[in-house]
Amino acid sequence: MSLWSLSVGASASVSSVASDSGNVAAQRLIDIGFRKGQTVSCLLQPGFGAPRVFALGNATYSLDKETADLVILTDDRPS
Amino acid sequence: MKNVLLVGAPNSGKSALFNRLTGLQHKVANYPGITIDVGSGALRSDPRAQVWDFPGTYSLNAISGEEELAIDALRSALADERPAVVAMVLDATRLEKGLTYCLQVAREAARSKKPFLVLLNMMDILEHNKLVLDLDGLRASLGVPVLPVSARTGDGVEAAEVALVSASATQSPWADTPDALIEGSAQQIADRFVPQGELLVRRQAKIDNWLLGTASGGVAFVVIMTLFFQAIFTWSAPLMDGVEAFILGLGAWLVPLVPEGIFADFFEDAVFGGLGAFLVFVPQIFVLTLIIGALEDSGYLARAALICHRPLSYFGLSGKSFVPLLSGVACAIPAIYAARTMSSRQERLMTYVAIPLMPCSARLPVYALLITVLIPDTTAFGGLVGWQGLVMSGIYFFGIVSALIVAAVASRLGESESRKQAFILELPAYRTPNVWPIIHASVNRAGHFIQKAGSIIFTVTVVVWFLGYFPNGGEDLSASWLATLGIWIQPIFEPLGLDWRYGVAILASFLAREVFVGTLGTIFGIENADDDPAPLAERITESGLTAASGAALVVFFTIALQCVSTVALLARESKSTGFAMRLLLSYLVLAWIAAFAVHGLVSLF
Repeated sequence: MSLWSLSVGASASVSSVASDSGNVAAQRLIDIGFRKGQTVSCLLQPGFGAPRVFALGNATYSLDKETADLVILTDDRPS
Repeated sequence: MKNVLLVGAPNSGKSALFNRLTGLQHKVANYPGITIDVGSGALRSDPRAQVWDFPGTYSLNAISGEEELAIDALRSALADERPAVVAMVLDATRLEKGLTYCLQVAREAARSKKPFLVLLNMMDILEHNKLVLDLDGLRASLGVPVLPVSARTGDGVEAAEVALVSASATQSPWADTPDALIEGSAQQIADRFVPQGELLVRRQAKIDNWLLGTASGGVAFVVIMTLFFQAIFTWSAPLMDGVEAFILGLGAWLVPLVPEGIFADFFEDAVFGGLGAFLVFVPQIFVLTLIIGALEDSGYLARAALICHRPLSYFGLSGKSFVPLLSGVACAIPAIYAARTMSSRQERLMTYVAIPLMPCSARLPVYALLITVLIPDTTAFGGLVGWQGLVMSGIYFFGIVSALIVAAVASRLGESESRKQAFILELPAYRTPNVWPIIHASVNRAGHFIQKAGSIIFTVTVVVWFLGYFPNGGEDLSASWLATLGIWIQPIFEPLGLDWRYGVAILASFLAREVFVGTLGTIFGIENADDDPAPLAERITESGLTAASGAALVVFFTIALQCVSTVALLARESKSTGFAMRLLLSYLVLAWIAAFAVHGLVSLF
């Protein structure tokens, strides 16, 4: 499942970032720490399709759907 | 002289540290060989050392044109043979986000034989929250000096200054490390040393639940933006009145000292009249920069961008375009400055495209005059709504919709990057804004505006004054070279049903849109038309301006970019005179076509 599917309050591990060649957004996600094994949680889902808020370590990031969908999560971690 | 190259991720407190190190002696300069603003200032403790504040980025892998320029700037600084030390600023509370960049720059510094050290900022927040970071372990893992500092309290800054001046290149463990290993190493160091501070995230999330909640977030947004506008219009009004009164007073005192004739007329009309009209906007720019600075420093601006991202993305804009567009309703000048907070050049260019169409306050006197001429002062809906006010709202709405539509079209015609820009926004921690740096930046911005835009505006003012004054010494504007020019360009405005008088007023309005009213007042022989447009409106009605031509004029003013200060600033901020000139010409052509269409349409009735 993708990061966008994560419900508010839930956490999961990053499985991979869909870094097809030339995808600068994927590269940036990796640069800021969205790497395999890292735990990410969803803090907020503002209404009307607005970008969602995720916590990674001590930092919080807002990602839109297209960007969050690049982050693939493992399903084996309890939320 | 030694250079200190200050680099780091956005929101790492780098600029605050820069201000600490330089004692707020900040100036904006173009770093040699590049076209991007890099702040610079002498090191407070040793003025022989120059500190360079490079734009924040997360990695040496650029994802936007703006980042590419910033990274090129750093690379050319590293390649420079002059002695330099590279100081990487890391946020101690969010160590993981800057480590990849840190190791990448450490490698580049080692290859350039430049000393490299880490300034671990925001240590006060760690201590305040009783969080621990193993400094010795981090030093050993990074293999470089690590100095704990707090830009906010000043703790550790003196030790950092000493280290920066005395640093010398040593053997670096990162000199030959490939990218893949750097990413892995960054992750290992992060896993081992990042303070476990969920407390920080939870505290922030509580406030975000309010400010970003579907209902409460909307209410908070409207309240904050209402206050924002109130501040721009209301708080700056006394300052603007003060500047106007000062300029008028200075003119009244100085002009009589100049011998009567051409020089007195020049000082009165061109210097105090023309420049005065422009200087009046300086307080507004100061207040706007102050409030945007406070909102940015508090952490709210990032949240406002998040809220607006979705609706604006339909028009090829980004959530970060919101504040500049909002500011554009007051004046395009501060709006263009406000767009500086946007990191992507493409997004910024799209925002620049939209800003000139926002219904700025300089258009207001023009609309007020034309509405008085065209729309009867009657009410509708049982006296609840005045037709003139309704039409004014319609014109404002038309301007905003035009801005969004043009941005949508331009983004679809432009580079694909503008449409596919990823939205990745770090939400900074909420904090109380640092007052003095914000005031300092606001004063700087206002001063910069006077210095840069002022010289261009003054030149154009002199040219227009000269054309209007000669050959008959300002006796009769209708016989001046400006009028001759108006008659010469009459064929352009004739299809809109407008004669040379309106052509001249439009020409003069390139100085500032509101000049249109004053110029028409002069041509129609009405004094003080700026203060009370009613007699002028009556004279225009008597002169037989048709409804079709009046409507065409309104549409022309809604779209045309006839504001020299906006064009000058667009050229400066976009770093492209071609972009500004294309925008000027495109909006003039579009304005004329739309005005012609409206003239034809209204003529049918």
